[in-house]
Amino acid sequence: MEIFVQQFINALALGGTYALLALGLAMVFSVLGLINFAHGELMTITGYAMFFAIAAGIPFPIAVILGIAAATLAAILMERIAFRPVRDANTATMLLTSFAVSTILHMLFQNLISARPKAIPVPDWMIGAINLGGLSIGVIQVMSITATTLLLLALTVFLRRSILGIAMRAASLDFPVTRLMGINANAVIATAFGISGLLAGVAGVLWLAQRGSVDPLMGFLPVLKAFIAVVLGGLGSLPGAVLGGFVLAFIEVSLRAFLPDDWLPFRESITLTLVIILLLVRPEGLLGRKDAVR
Amino acid sequence: MMGRMIAPGALAGSALLFVPIAILSLIGWQVLGNAQQGTLTHMLIMIVAVLAFSSFTGNSGILSFGHAAFMGLSAHITGALTIPQAQKAIFLPDLPAWLADADFHYMLLGMDLHFFIVGLIAVVIVTFVAFLIGIPISRLGGPSAAIATLGLLIIVYGVIVGARDFTRGSQALIGVPKFIDIPTALVFVAIALVVARTFRDSLSGLELRAAREDEPAARAIGVNAHARRLLAWTVSASLAALAGVLLAHFLGVYSPKEFYFQLTFAILVMLIVGGMSSVSGAVVGAILVTAMIEILRKSEDYINTAWFQEPTVFGLTDIGLSLAILGVLFWRRDGLFGYREIEELAGGWRRWFGLKVHEAEQGAAPVRIQQEGALEVRHVAKVFGGLRAVDDASLSLKPGEILGLIGPNGSGKTTMLGCISGALDISEGAVNLDGHDITQMPAHQIARHRVGRSFQNIRLFTHLTCIENVKAALAASGTRLASAQMEQRALALMAELGVADYAERRAGTLAYGLQRRLEIARALALEPRYLLLDEPAAGMNETESDDLLKILAGLRDSRGLGLLVVDHDLRLIMRLCDRVVVLNKGQVIAEGAPEEVQANPDVIEAYLGKRRAATKTAPHATQGREEP
Repeated sequence: MEIFVQQFINALALGGTYALLALGLAMVFSVLGLINFAHGELMTITGYAMFFAIAAGIPFPIAVILGIAAATLAAILMERIAFRPVRDANTATMLLTSFAVSTILHMLFQNLISARPKAIPVPDWMIGAINLGGLSIGVIQVMSITATTLLLLALTVFLRRSILGIAMRAASLDFPVTRLMGINANAVIATAFGISGLLAGVAGVLWLAQRGSVDPLMGFLPVLKAFIAVVLGGLGSLPGAVLGGFVLAFIEVSLRAFLPDDWLPFRESITLTLVIILLLVRPEGLLGRKDAVR
Repeated sequence: MMGRMIAPGALAGSALLFVPIAILSLIGWQVLGNAQQGTLTHMLIMIVAVLAFSSFTGNSGILSFGHAAFMGLSAHITGALTIPQAQKAIFLPDLPAWLADADFHYMLLGMDLHFFIVGLIAVVIVTFVAFLIGIPISRLGGPSAAIATLGLLIIVYGVIVGARDFTRGSQALIGVPKFIDIPTALVFVAIALVVARTFRDSLSGLELRAAREDEPAARAIGVNAHARRLLAWTVSASLAALAGVLLAHFLGVYSPKEFYFQLTFAILVMLIVGGMSSVSGAVVGAILVTAMIEILRKSEDYINTAWFQEPTVFGLTDIGLSLAILGVLFWRRDGLFGYREIEELAGGWRRWFGLKVHEAEQGAAPVRIQQEGALEVRHVAKVFGGLRAVDDASLSLKPGEILGLIGPNGSGKTTMLGCISGALDISEGAVNLDGHDITQMPAHQIARHRVGRSFQNIRLFTHLTCIENVKAALAASGTRLASAQMEQRALALMAELGVADYAERRAGTLAYGLQRRLEIARALALEPRYLLLDEPAAGMNETESDDLLKILAGLRDSRGLGLLVVDHDLRLIMRLCDRVVVLNKGQVIAEGAPEEVQANPDVIEAYLGKRRAATKTAPHATQGREEP
């Protein structure tokens, strides 16, 4: 029972990170139709911003804020520079554009900073564990779950109450019509990228806190996972992305916990195979929908 | 596949590409040093690989990240089977006995068939695996499918690394026999080229390209998009497996990483630079990009050795590839070749090969259809969330009859057409076609039961030529005709609608009115018994809509079709239709001859509202059109 609860919390923490990443991806996809491969590099940028901030003697909490701000800014710039010229192109074109952006950023990190990992000193209090009725829960996991919950709540309020938020939800259902309603497309797109950058920044901090270092390829793997989560949840559906992130994390954590040792090298492959089987049953994803044909 | 081969263009195009490549490569084989020969061989293998990607991605429009996985899989299978036994004992000690001792040496006419047999085994196994994986992937929509292929790449990589007994994990396989030289590679380039071109130009390929352009419209002419995608996926996977075998026996030493993101990225760049939707483009892209990679690699070495003591600059190649992709996507989005093949660019190739240029042969008299039976819609409802867009509506249509379906905006007319044609799932009720229940049938099967439709927003296959639009429908409806006859049939249909002169134009470049006509010509290729037209006169001026009226009446008279016409142009409806059904809020509120319906107070109320209905008269034909 104990191990079960422990694993449940692990899955929740991991799922939170995936959900934040997936939500950012889904937000951008729903307004632009772009699957942003360079999303992971936003996490990496958070890492490097924190690394340089800490190296400059800035205290850890402020470095965290700077890191998240850097990711947000980078996301907005990315849209401005790379994605605006291909805004009206098909999905394949935009996907490849983002793939190229991602590769260029990798190379810049490698050449301008370092190919080797840079350590980010995490404060001691974050490394410990809290003892809760016989269960020891990592501080980082508690932080992950708290941060995810707060962020998702704040985002829900923003999307439901503010004009821009409502415009974003409308845009995720039908962007052309939203534009006809007089909503400024550039504002919606920039906000979508800004939010996706913010979410990636937070996810980056949570990821870094567990790893303690940043390297040029850091963001690649988690974002691949987030892609899978987005498709699993239903491409373009915001709640679907969050759900997909948690489902994927639960599959991963259960496999890690309960798979026989011989099978562990195949863990990743088994996870993805399970997801593809789920998609066989529901090709449009868990919360996806079919569009009407006119 | 019998009777499904077409287009002499496929062979002409393959030859136009292959001959110069072969000549230059063979010259290189004679004059170049070993290292350059290696580069050349590698380039030829990359051509095979890019043709594999192109056969799927080019025809389906779905970006694949997964084909490098098939290359890796086949490379590791052929590796495990061909490494000499002494080396197997050292590097793969845990190999099961049957594999360690496997011997595939067979002699035929003094030739050792070992590699041929092993290569074939690898290709067959990988093709079969790909077929199984393709079943879920071919059902996914474009972006989701692309991500699923990405997942596939990671899965297969994980499996290859995890299966240590067979593959040495992430370490390199050593001692795979190297025997691929320029002439051998050329043979396989020729094979891959012919396979890729033949598939693209086959009727299956045409159907798939139609689905790439517009999937709902493709379903509506009978294309089973899932099945076509699965076929393309399997064919392309076999080519990828072939490329993997070639690469294995070219490199001799390779690790699973060789077949991961970097390779995928390089091949995708080749595809994009040349033009994703063109086989010729893929080949030319492979040549250009390989050359570029080679130059960048040399520069990188030069910079690192000449300027610095140790390697300090990384990934110049990757940055170059990325910039190439961005450059192409920003400035020439469809790549160098766009949607064209080399023989189309060369122009006039038909004359070189002594083939006839399109000529419409008049007088292929339309066949009158059987007049028994009816299309019956019984108490159909379609629910979207809480909205009953169509609510307990019934209507029937007989061959030889023109039925008008009118109603205010949002009354459920288009939804009704969607329910009949299978584009939408019906929530309640049934649709009966000449005594067969078609309620649950998918759209492409309903189309093959000879129910055609047009769309409110024109849905042509924009990047295909006009004649290809019609041929796709001929192919998908199961018409079995030889290539030349099919061309004639398509042209005759186009002539009937007055668009035969535009046969070789891209459909998207036609004027609006002509596009509407082409859409009808395409629907007629199904030899429909019933034709559903969604606002055929929308956006037409009076003269154009008069012409349309004549054409539609002509179709009924010459073929005896049953026509269901949705339109807001009441003048057209009143003059054309034998009977009119009026929908309001999803329900049938009136039905009868045009004059009866026009005088019906319920109809007037639905159109004009209660208060105004009391003072106004019926929506007379003379009032002209109501804007949609």
